[in-house]
Amino acid sequence: MLSTLVQEPFVQLDVNAADWEQAVRLATQPFVDAGLATQDYVEDIISGAKEHGPYFVLAPRVAMPHARPDQGALGNAIGVVRLSEPVEFGSEANDPVSYLFPLVANDDGGHLEALMSLAELLSDESFFEGLDDAKTAGEVLDLIREKEGGL
Amino acid sequence: MAKTYRALVCCRAGMGSSMILKIKCDQVIKEEGLPIETEHGNLDSILGFTGDLVITMCDLTDELNADPHVPEAVGVKNLVDKEEIRRVLKEWAEAHAE
Repeated sequence: MLSTLVQEPFVQLDVNAADWEQAVRLATQPFVDAGLATQDYVEDIISGAKEHGPYFVLAPRVAMPHARPDQGALGNAIGVVRLSEPVEFGSEANDPVSYLFPLVANDDGGHLEALMSLAELLSDESFFEGLDDAKTAGEVLDLIREKEGGL
Repeated sequence: MAKTYRALVCCRAGMGSSMILKIKCDQVIKEEGLPIETEHGNLDSILGFTGDLVITMCDLTDELNADPHVPEAVGVKNLVDKEEIRRVLKEWAEAHAE
């Protein structure tokens, strides 16, 4: 379930990021703090984007920063980050980014169901309206549970 | 029997973005009854891929289509937009209808 992979410390609202790199670092830091990803995992996302472009900007306004499992993934988790101001990621199709859904996954199967839920949420405008209105991380978690219950 | 085409859905990391795109492609393929089967991988998987089509993010398609070892690549801008995916896949399937 998506709601079991999104823990409260991974939800951050109105994050101030000067640029995409800082946004990615702030979004993924809770995974490092929780022992679910190594610092190398974060560095791999940054260096990968510098080398290949922002491969994790999936949709207008939406980024899902992640690296390969063998780059330092120690567990499975998904975060939700709402930026206070949109940031340019260098994605011609989908800039600027306002929401980040950082992902860490250490196996191919464990997070699959969660990604299916996330794929539904990301195409649901009412999810983003709810996310914009949320005042606390708890409200975001409630929103995800509510949406997931209806899928 | 009509041919079923094999498509590789991939992104650079072969983990998150491509999985999201594969989920959406599979939904569209089922809804439209398109003769396409998908598998998922990363850029390295392309080297051993012997299928008909690569489905990927828009920013990769030019690079892939310039590589003669890679099957035809089609790109999607918004990986969660089923209407865009529907348009791209139907166009490809119609162009390859027997």
